[in-house]
Amino acid sequence: MKAARPKAAAVVLEQVCKRFGDTTALTPIDLSVLPGQFVLLAGSNGAGKSTLLRLLAGLTRPSGGRVRVLGGDPVRQAPVRGRIGLLAHQTLLYDDLTAQENLLFYAQLYELPQRASIVDQALDEAGLSRRRQHRVRTFSRGMKQRLALARATLHNPPLLLLDEPFTGLDTSAVEALTQRLQGLKRQGSTCLLVTHRLDTALPLMDRLVVVKRGRACYDAAWPGGDLAQLQATCQQHMDEAP
Amino acid sequence: MRRLGRCTWAILHKDLLMEWRSKERLNPMVVFVLLVLLIFNFSFELGGAALHEIGPGVLWSAFVFASLLGLNRTFAAETINDCLDGLLLAPGDRAALYVGKMLGNLVFLLVTQLASLPFFALFFNLSLGAYLAPLLAVLLLGSMGLAAVGTLFAAIASNMRLQELLLPLLFLPMVIAPLIFCVEATALVLKGSPFEKIYPYLQLLGAYDLVFITLAFILFEYVVEE
Repeated sequence: MKAARPKAAAVVLEQVCKRFGDTTALTPIDLSVLPGQFVLLAGSNGAGKSTLLRLLAGLTRPSGGRVRVLGGDPVRQAPVRGRIGLLAHQTLLYDDLTAQENLLFYAQLYELPQRASIVDQALDEAGLSRRRQHRVRTFSRGMKQRLALARATLHNPPLLLLDEPFTGLDTSAVEALTQRLQGLKRQGSTCLLVTHRLDTALPLMDRLVVVKRGRACYDAAWPGGDLAQLQATCQQHMDEAP
Repeated sequence: MRRLGRCTWAILHKDLLMEWRSKERLNPMVVFVLLVLLIFNFSFELGGAALHEIGPGVLWSAFVFASLLGLNRTFAAETINDCLDGLLLAPGDRAALYVGKMLGNLVFLLVTQLASLPFFALFFNLSLGAYLAPLLAVLLLGSMGLAAVGTLFAAIASNMRLQELLLPLLFLPMVIAPLIFCVEATALVLKGSPFEKIYPYLQLLGAYDLVFITLAFILFEYVVEE
């Protein structure tokens, strides 16, 4: 009887480093994420978390090492980028276009079939159907963030990179966004989440990686536990001497 | 190639739609050209012989400086909310971004030129009907060169502080050659010279456009990367 083949990792970083001039954002870092895993990337400001996500999205090249995402190089292989969804610090939305026009534009770039119906469905799921013809500049922060998530997930990407998705959201918007992320997790999406809102990450995560000064100083499956345990684990590794 | 075409169209359509709503590029460009023509009209008596001496130079200088106003705004919408990242994330060829932006700049420049030509004719006592076809050929090829080089340098400058200062410093030296071809060709057109005399300048402009569009097409991916 043949042994079951191990699942190919969705994300592989091998000795990846990134420098900006004299500043080192990431020291050689290794990371492997299996398909379907929901990873919380924790760490203090400037630890290198956002740089890590930008490397995975193919928005910047590593200074050294190798980045493999969904079996390919996200910088050189355009089809690989087409399977990644990025929710960044900024919304990546055009303020002077309506919600519908923004999503239709991205649907065109991703060459999605039946764009109109996909966009309608995405607007429904984001709870923005009634505001579809309104320009994004008239939206509240929460509405923009919901639309940004709809944009990031429009093409149903198997890999989601979320950088502080809860910033500036009120309680109900956080709850709605958490539910949406839970839905994506159930669908089997792989997700790397960067957030300082550990309470919101807790019900979603199944692995914790703590990044400190460009290095993964803690990396383990999250066995489950309450917020206090998660905070203590993060704090302990962020405070440790390098 | 089809994918490149579709992505290019998506970017061009988006830019035209946003410009239609904001008019933040076309209005200043058209007004600038009209002001330059008006100032020169009052500064010189531009009928008769002076027309052939300085008319083409005035016209093309106005177009080049007006194009800078538009080029400076080429990537403005993409820097707000980091929209450029959204474009770079898309699975298509990143050269589509260059071609879409370049075509957008070309459209804005051509619209500016077409809007200002009647005023040029009025101020310079010209009847454009006789010169229109060869003049349009010069305008098209000249504008293509300005848009091709300008879009590449606009992308380089968009990542830098003081981009409004940097872009003219990069752009103007590179467009001296096509500017000379355009001024010479326009002077010949306005003198009513036969097409055989104008044609070599059109060939030079065509070659310049081809070289710089090809170069920019290849280099653009590296320019927009971090």
